[in-house]
Amino acid sequence: MNHSKNAKNARARRFSLSLKSREILAAYAFLAPFMAFFLIFVVRAVVEAVRMSFYDWHILRPMRPYIGIDNYLELVNDSVWWISLQNTIVFTVLTVIGTTIVALAAAVAVTRPIRGQGFFRVLLYMPSLLSVGAVGLIWVWLLNTQFGIINYGLSFIGIRPVNWLGDPNLVIPSLSLTTIWWGFGFPMLIFIAGLQGIPEQLYEAARIDGGSDRDLFLYITLPLLRPTILFVTVTGVISHFQVYGQPFIMTTGGPGRSSYSLIFYLYQIAWTAFRMGYGAAVAVCIAVIMAVLTSVQFLVLSRRIEY
Amino acid sequence: MKPERSILPQHTITYVFLTLLSLFVVFPMLIAVSQSFMTNQEVNRWPPQIIPLEPTLESIRTVLTQQDLRLDLWLRNSLIAATGYTAAVLLLCAPAAFAFARLKFPGNNLLFGFLLVTIMIPSQVTLIPNYLLMRDLQWLDTFNALIFPGAANVFGVFLLRQFFIQVPTDLEEAAVLDGAGYFGRFWHVILPLSRNALTALGIFVFLFHYNDLFWPFIVTNSLETRTLPVGLAILNSSYAGQYRPMVLSGAVLSSIPILIVYIIFQRQIIQGITLTGMGGR
Repeated sequence: MNHSKNAKNARARRFSLSLKSREILAAYAFLAPFMAFFLIFVVRAVVEAVRMSFYDWHILRPMRPYIGIDNYLELVNDSVWWISLQNTIVFTVLTVIGTTIVALAAAVAVTRPIRGQGFFRVLLYMPSLLSVGAVGLIWVWLLNTQFGIINYGLSFIGIRPVNWLGDPNLVIPSLSLTTIWWGFGFPMLIFIAGLQGIPEQLYEAARIDGGSDRDLFLYITLPLLRPTILFVTVTGVISHFQVYGQPFIMTTGGPGRSSYSLIFYLYQIAWTAFRMGYGAAVAVCIAVIMAVLTSVQFLVLSRRIEY
Repeated sequence: MKPERSILPQHTITYVFLTLLSLFVVFPMLIAVSQSFMTNQEVNRWPPQIIPLEPTLESIRTVLTQQDLRLDLWLRNSLIAATGYTAAVLLLCAPAAFAFARLKFPGNNLLFGFLLVTIMIPSQVTLIPNYLLMRDLQWLDTFNALIFPGAANVFGVFLLRQFFIQVPTDLEEAAVLDGAGYFGRFWHVILPLSRNALTALGIFVFLFHYNDLFWPFIVTNSLETRTLPVGLAILNSSYAGQYRPMVLSGAVLSSIPILIVYIIFQRQIIQGITLTGMGGR
C-alpha cells in the first residue's frame, strides 16, 4: 500500500516534470531558428567587429598584425572623422526639427473634420515610399544651380541662383530639406494616431469655456501630445543619424568633405580604401554614440508612464 | 458620435495649408515625370521647362534598352529579395515571439531582456564582419546575402510578442482540450488571430528592405544581381552628366511599381506602418 502510493507519487512527479520539460523543449525549438541567425549575424558579428578594431586589417594584405588601440588613436586625430561627426549632427538636428514640425502640422490638418482627410493622408505619405535613389535623383535636379526649378522659382522674388549642393555651408541644409520631403510621412502617421487618442470631450469642454483654436492647440493638443513628440524626435534622431544614401547619391560627400556623414565615411574607409580594421573601429565608435542616443531614448520614453 | 465632415469656411486655413503641402509633396514628383519626357536640350534650358513642348519617349526608351542598365532585372531582384527577406523575418520572429509570449522556460525574461538591449546596437557595427562572412561563404552576388544577414530582426520579435500576449489564453486552453500541442496552439490559434500584426510587420520590413541601399550596394557587384536602389545609384553616376532625362526616367520608372501597390493597398499599408511605428502600443 505504502509502496504503491510512493510509486504513484513518483509517477505523478515524473509526469509533471516531463510536462514541464516538454514545454521547455518546445520553447527552445521555437526559439532555435531565430537564435541561430541571431548568434551568427548579430552576436558573432559584433564580437568580431570589436576584435578586428584592434588589428591592422587590410583586405588586400595577408598580414594582419595586432596593433592594440592604434586604430582608436588614429580616429581621435582623424579630422575627416570629426568633420563627418559634425556634419551628421547638424544634419540630424535640422532634419529632426524640420520633420517634426512639418509632420505635426500635417497631422493636425488632416485630422480636422474635413472632407478629403483620407485623400490628403494617402497623398502626403507618398514620398516615403520612394527609394533614396529616386528621391536623390529627383532633388539633385530640382536643386541644380543653373537649370533647377527651385532657383527658377526664387528668381521671381529677385534671388540670384543659389549653389545649393555646391556651397559647403548650404549642402547639409539642402540634404535636410530633401530628407524632410522624403521622410515626414512616417512621423505624420504616428502623430495622427496620437491625435486620435486625445478625447474629443476635452476640446468640447474648452470650446464651451470660450477657447480659440489656438488655445486648444497650445493647451490641449501640445501637452497631451508630448509623449508622441518625444517618441518621434528620439526615433528620428536615431534614424537620421545613420544617413548615408542622400550624400552618396546627391553629392558623393562633397563639395570637398562638406557632406560626409559618419556612415558615408565608414563606407569610404572599408569599401574604397579597404581598411577593414580601421573601419571596424569607426563602426564601433558610431555604435557607441548611437547606443548612448538610444539609452537616452529609453530613459526619456519610459518617463512617459508618469503622465 | 462622429463629428460631421465639412467644407465650411472655418476650415479655409486648413485647406489652404493642405493644398500648399500637397503641392510641396507632389511637385517634385510631377517635375521628374514631366522631364523624363523631355530631350536633353530641353532639360538643360533656362528658364526651365515645366511641361515638355515636344514630348518624347527617347529617354525612357534609352533607359530601358541601354546595355549596362537592366531595370527589369533590378526590379525582379528587388522583389525577390524583399519578399524572401519578409518571409525569413516572419518565419524566424513569429515562433520566437510565441515562445517569449506563451511558454515557460528558464531564462525567458533574461533572454528577452538581452535581445531588447541588443536593439541598441546599430546594424552598422555588424556590416564589416557580415560582409567578410558573405565573401568567405561565397554568398556575394546571391540572394542569400540579401536575405539572411538581417533576418534575425529583434524588433520583429518584440512587436509580435506584444501582440501575442494580448491574444486571450482561453482560446488556446480550448485548443489544448481538443488535443492541440504547442505547435497547434501556435499555428491554429495564435497566428490566425494575429493576422493584422503579421501583415503590419510584413509590410514594414518589406518596404524597408525594398528601398535599402547600403547593404545591397556592398554585397552585389555584377549588373545582373543589383537591386533597384543600387541600380539607380549606378545609373546616376554613369549618365547624370551627359543625359539628364534618362536619369529622371530611371527614377520615375523605378518608383512606379511601389506606387501602384500603394494606391491599391493604401489602407493596409498606412495602417501597417502606423501599427508597427507605434511599436504595437
